[in-house]
Amino acid sequence: MKSEPNFSLTRRSLLTGAASAALLPIVGMPKAAFAEGDVIKIGFLAPLTGPVAAWGKPGLDGCQIWADWTNEAGGVEIGGKPYKIELVSYDDEDDAGKARTGATQLIRENEVKFIMMLGGNSWPGVEEIAARQGMMVSTLLPSDLTPDTTTLIAPCEVHPIYNVTGVEWLAANRPELKTAVICAQDDALGKPSVATYLAAFEAAGIKMASEPLFFDPATTDFAPVMTQLLANNPDILCLDTCYADYVQPLCEQAFQQGYKGQIISCTLDFYQRIVDRTSKEFMEGVIFQFPDFDDKALNDPRINFKKPNEYYAEYVKRYGATQWSAVSWEYASILDLWADAANRAGSAEPEDTLKAMKEGGKGKHAFGDARWWGKELFGIDNALVGDWPVVVIRDGKATIAEFRSIPDWWDKNGELLVKHMTALGQMWNQRT
Amino acid sequence: MPDFLLQTVFNASYAASYMALIAVGLVLIFGVMGVVNFAHGELYMAGAYAIVFFYAWNGLPFFVAVALGLVFVGCLGILMELTLFRPLRTNPLGGLIASIGFLLILQTVAVVGFGLRNQNVPRVSQGGITVGGAVLTYERLAVIVVTIVLLAALWLFLRRSKFGWALRACAQDREAAALQGISINQTARYAMFIGAALAGVAGAMTAPLVAPSPYMGHSVIVTAFIIIIVGGVGSLEGAVVAAILYAFVHTFVTTFYDGVIANIVGLLLMLAVLVVKPQGLFGVRERA
Repeated sequence: MKSEPNFSLTRRSLLTGAASAALLPIVGMPKAAFAEGDVIKIGFLAPLTGPVAAWGKPGLDGCQIWADWTNEAGGVEIGGKPYKIELVSYDDEDDAGKARTGATQLIRENEVKFIMMLGGNSWPGVEEIAARQGMMVSTLLPSDLTPDTTTLIAPCEVHPIYNVTGVEWLAANRPELKTAVICAQDDALGKPSVATYLAAFEAAGIKMASEPLFFDPATTDFAPVMTQLLANNPDILCLDTCYADYVQPLCEQAFQQGYKGQIISCTLDFYQRIVDRTSKEFMEGVIFQFPDFDDKALNDPRINFKKPNEYYAEYVKRYGATQWSAVSWEYASILDLWADAANRAGSAEPEDTLKAMKEGGKGKHAFGDARWWGKELFGIDNALVGDWPVVVIRDGKATIAEFRSIPDWWDKNGELLVKHMTALGQMWNQRT
Repeated sequence: MPDFLLQTVFNASYAASYMALIAVGLVLIFGVMGVVNFAHGELYMAGAYAIVFFYAWNGLPFFVAVALGLVFVGCLGILMELTLFRPLRTNPLGGLIASIGFLLILQTVAVVGFGLRNQNVPRVSQGGITVGGAVLTYERLAVIVVTIVLLAALWLFLRRSKFGWALRACAQDREAAALQGISINQTARYAMFIGAALAGVAGAMTAPLVAPSPYMGHSVIVTAFIIIIVGGVGSLEGAVVAAILYAFVHTFVTTFYDGVIANIVGLLLMLAVLVVKPQGLFGVRERA
């Protein structure tokens, strides 16, 4: 038996309604009313579960904030008309087969206009359908780029090239440090990063105290790794682009085995936890490449990310401070670039948007002016590079020390990078 | 150099300890029930999450949390025996497949209950023993000591108690044991409880050192299988000796060369044992 809904008007509901009506001019009406069909769908195809989910899920959360803010502000204006943005996500579990299924669904069923991916293991599954459909796809890993991937762009994170800025800053600020060691997981993320750090150390006149140490990604006990790294008493301990699950135990092991030198790393997710588990003194001066977005330095006018401090506060409010990671802002920053390009193109069609995005070979990425680059390393100029922040732990807190130019470093030391990438088989024509 | 060697010995001893706990549990389950428990790595993960819940989140003393973790994961083992392995007892392949399903369930429960990210378990102690330049932290020392105590207790239980004899009898010949009046269901329950609890203790004791994540079981299960193949499938002594052998070889090769070569050497070790002694170091050749 179904109960009848109770629609009787009570004094309380009457008062609530009246108060709401009175407050409407103050809180305001919704800023935009979208007609049905005035919706553009954006695909989010990344690992949302599984061991690599930490590189996908926080990004989707960040994109949701971006979409909510954009829609509240009236949507994205394209061809003089506002469009609501709708995110459609698909969990590829970092698997090429699942990514292929996801891309097919996003393109054919959801009719998305743009797909954001983590890339790496999943990209080979998407490559063919993206090329066939002319779908613009973004990756966080430019090592996916080849001359054939004409619709694939790396517009935010040109991993691992930005790591050169940290080493360059270190050499300029601590010239007394002369020797370094490096370790990385033996995978597609670790190797190009090692090549980049080797090039950056060589450019800075820093000698390697031992050969790069590669470890199995399944490693759980990092004590032997650290024992070997510290055997030659290096001035600098480089943790490359180790996953967050590795950086923490590596730092702890360095601390426990008595290391007192400089640490440099690509990422330092959950650094507060590492500080707690070691000490403020031990972590003082650690260099990495991903700022907290509550950093006041991000309010600089050249930064091309809307309200970074407010974005960070909203992220923390919705998901908690412990969920913030290197990718929390990156996919949202790509959406900024996409929206700007679609606006300029007057069209959300992938071909038009891509053309507008790459117009003139220049653009603006999250940290300011940038240029489309990459032919020498990836065989195609589809990576957007510019300045990148050097972040230093000071008194237990990540602080942007300086923005440094990747193109400037490349212009001076590009040959070194090509040399080390080639030696480790990481050039686009060496990768299988 | 002596400090360097001593540090490597400390590292290897720790690795041998927790791997021995995991491998012995796996061997016990296989020996008594004839089931290849692919979810054993996830039982290790469940032990680590018990520490997250009881120690990190609810502030219970660490060793109380370890004891609760032991009981909790042991009960998970009983649950597996009752709902999966017992109904599929006549179908060994069915048990294996069911354990893979249970593995996925445990991972999903961990994701839903604790989130995708690795968890922070507060340090139990910051101190350690320093010998020359080599350091063995109290946390790592505790893993070694607890392993020795538990394995000694297990040895006594199997050799000196009635239930231990029943377990060993079932491991030798289930049908003959049943004919002697030994309850197969009861011994299977004991085996699952003890085997799972050992994996749970390994996870619980190492939780402050590894930052638990829902997928941490993957990394240990392959090593555990290598160890029980080297030691001899079904041999508890073999599992302990193989864990020590594997951990020392792996740790020394990692320290003097690198971790990738260490994995290759570990597999070569298994291959060499299979060629020279196919039943494993302590395995018994099956009669034709």
